[in-house]
Amino acid sequence: MDVFLQTLVAGILKGGLYALIGIGMTLIMGVMGIINLAHGQLMMVAMYITYVLHLAGVDPYISLFVAMPALFLLGCLIQRFLLNPLLKVDTILPENQVLMTVGIGMVLTEIIRFIFKSDYKSVSTGYSNATFFLGNISFSIALGISFIIAIAFTVAMFFFLIKTDIGRSIRATAQDKDAAVLMGVNTGRITIITFGLGSGLVAAAGCLLAPVYYVFPDIGGPFTARAFIITILGGLGSTVGAIFGGVTLGLAESFGATYISMDYENIIGMTIFVLVLLFLPGGFKRLTKI
Amino acid sequence: MSTGRKLVFAVFAVVLGLCIGSVVVAAETLKVGIVLPLTGEQAKFGEIEKRSFEMAAEEINGKGGVNGKKLELLFEDDTGKPDVGRSAVEKLISREKVPVLTGGYSSSVTAAATAVAQQFKVPFMVTTGSADKITESGYDYVFRINPPASEYPAAVVTFLEQVVKPKTAVILYENSLFGQSSSKSFEEDCQKLKIDVVAKEGYHKGAVDFKPLLTKVKSLNPDLVYMVSYVMDASLLMRQAKELDLNPKLFIGGGAGFTLPEFHKNAGDAAEYVFSAALWVETAPYPGAREYFDKYAKKYKEDTEYHGAEAYASLYVVADALKRAKTITPKDVRDALATTDMKTAFGPVKFVSYDKKTQQNKIPTFLVQWQKGSLETVWPKGVADKKFIFPVPKWNERK
Repeated sequence: MDVFLQTLVAGILKGGLYALIGIGMTLIMGVMGIINLAHGQLMMVAMYITYVLHLAGVDPYISLFVAMPALFLLGCLIQRFLLNPLLKVDTILPENQVLMTVGIGMVLTEIIRFIFKSDYKSVSTGYSNATFFLGNISFSIALGISFIIAIAFTVAMFFFLIKTDIGRSIRATAQDKDAAVLMGVNTGRITIITFGLGSGLVAAAGCLLAPVYYVFPDIGGPFTARAFIITILGGLGSTVGAIFGGVTLGLAESFGATYISMDYENIIGMTIFVLVLLFLPGGFKRLTKI
Repeated sequence: MSTGRKLVFAVFAVVLGLCIGSVVVAAETLKVGIVLPLTGEQAKFGEIEKRSFEMAAEEINGKGGVNGKKLELLFEDDTGKPDVGRSAVEKLISREKVPVLTGGYSSSVTAAATAVAQQFKVPFMVTTGSADKITESGYDYVFRINPPASEYPAAVVTFLEQVVKPKTAVILYENSLFGQSSSKSFEEDCQKLKIDVVAKEGYHKGAVDFKPLLTKVKSLNPDLVYMVSYVMDASLLMRQAKELDLNPKLFIGGGAGFTLPEFHKNAGDAAEYVFSAALWVETAPYPGAREYFDKYAKKYKEDTEYHGAEAYASLYVVADALKRAKTITPKDVRDALATTDMKTAFGPVKFVSYDKKTQQNKIPTFLVQWQKGSLETVWPKGVADKKFIFPVPKWNERK
């Protein structure tokens, strides 16, 4: 029983972090219809910001307030100067924005490698490995906090999208870009803001992940893949779906590791991905209608 | 027309000049091709080895080189991928015409790279790549200074036999060629010692959360947890074992990541008392071992470890072979390598054949333990500089 509960706790806590990584991607995908394949790499940049601030004695949770605006700005610049101009160019490949994000991801990785070298860096804090026990079940404090922050961001995003003007414009652009233009929405500006928001959210995930993991130029790739799975699981553009997607992936990986074998961690994620595409195209969003 | 012809002549002359130039340069230096992961996830190990190769080259060239010729090291980056390693070796052989190759870090890359060297009949003196099969393929152009992965835990085995006497063990390993090779042979060692292996679990490197795996280990309550991991997986395993209050009698790392300074930096106090197999320690009774360690620390302001020592020794072995070779052709250098018998900072080097292995160096191994943030040699007794701390205190009994 302890093994089952501990696996459940580990899966849910990891899922919270995954959700935060996924929300940014699902937002970008919903509005622009493209997969941002530089998503994990943007998180990696945020982790290095956290690392540099950590060297200066700043707590990773405080560096949230630096990394998020910084990545928001970086995201806006990428959309404004690298992705939007591609819309105006005729090419044989319809999805050249996606290819562009692959290139951006590589450039980010190599720039970081150039500055920081291929060295493993750690952001170890007093609470990196702090735990409390409930019965025999261990709860990681760092992951617990990041879970709460992930939920808070999701709720905030949800109300932002429902209640504010910019949020409504983002949803309008996601639903029908041409109609949104006719209604007077500046869709160019909205895509820039959306990419910025998506980058800012994944920056938050980076700040929360840094103390419990390690920092390295190449760690972006696997997280891009996970964010993509979460996006498909949750449904495009659905923030609530991203929470479900993240927790589902976290739980699947944990239970797979305990009851099957950790060797198959990646296979389990991909199997769910294929099953959802086959039997529930549109993801959890289809079930909830949100 | 005439200007065109002049241009052709000019180009021809330049090309000819370059050819002669390169021949002259080639006559002055001896090229040594070295394949290492200089970028990618294993770049840390590549860096230590590259620096050590360069240190050895400086020393050899400073003393007048080999038979009056200077060594020229040609590094190629294998990025940790077997296909890149293959083409790196092809490039060194066909374009640079190197008479001898060395380096080779990860087992998967080395297995691919040595196959190419064998095919072109150019000797490859493997520095690290440790999967057993590399010297079990009957390649007569492949030598290895590093012991095979199955022999890493030799000192661990005697320590378990004489001191710990565990009854049950769990083996955790990264599902790479090195991890599989090491874990399989340790399982066989356990059978010989009558230790019951209650679980043997692989994982994919770079995982975020090992807690489900470690929870399973905790429920099995083994005496010994043996891990074959690279540096950051190693530190996450130990940190999360601490979080889960997993208390076997001892944790042992099977070399690779557990001896690097980064392991302790990332794992912090969770690294304390962890044992690891090591192929070399600076206190080993080899001529030049301590000098190499001190020189490296002075030059790069960082500690080196066994990977560096074997790279450093590799170049001395190659230089020795080049010195004794009748002519500088791959064939003669290979014959010279086969009769190597010398003492290096990494230990005595002699390529012998035994069991299924050919041209394999045999050296004793050591057991190290992290004590108060520094790596101490604790076994075998003859070379130990500190006494081992065993039994290890439980997590909640530590300060």
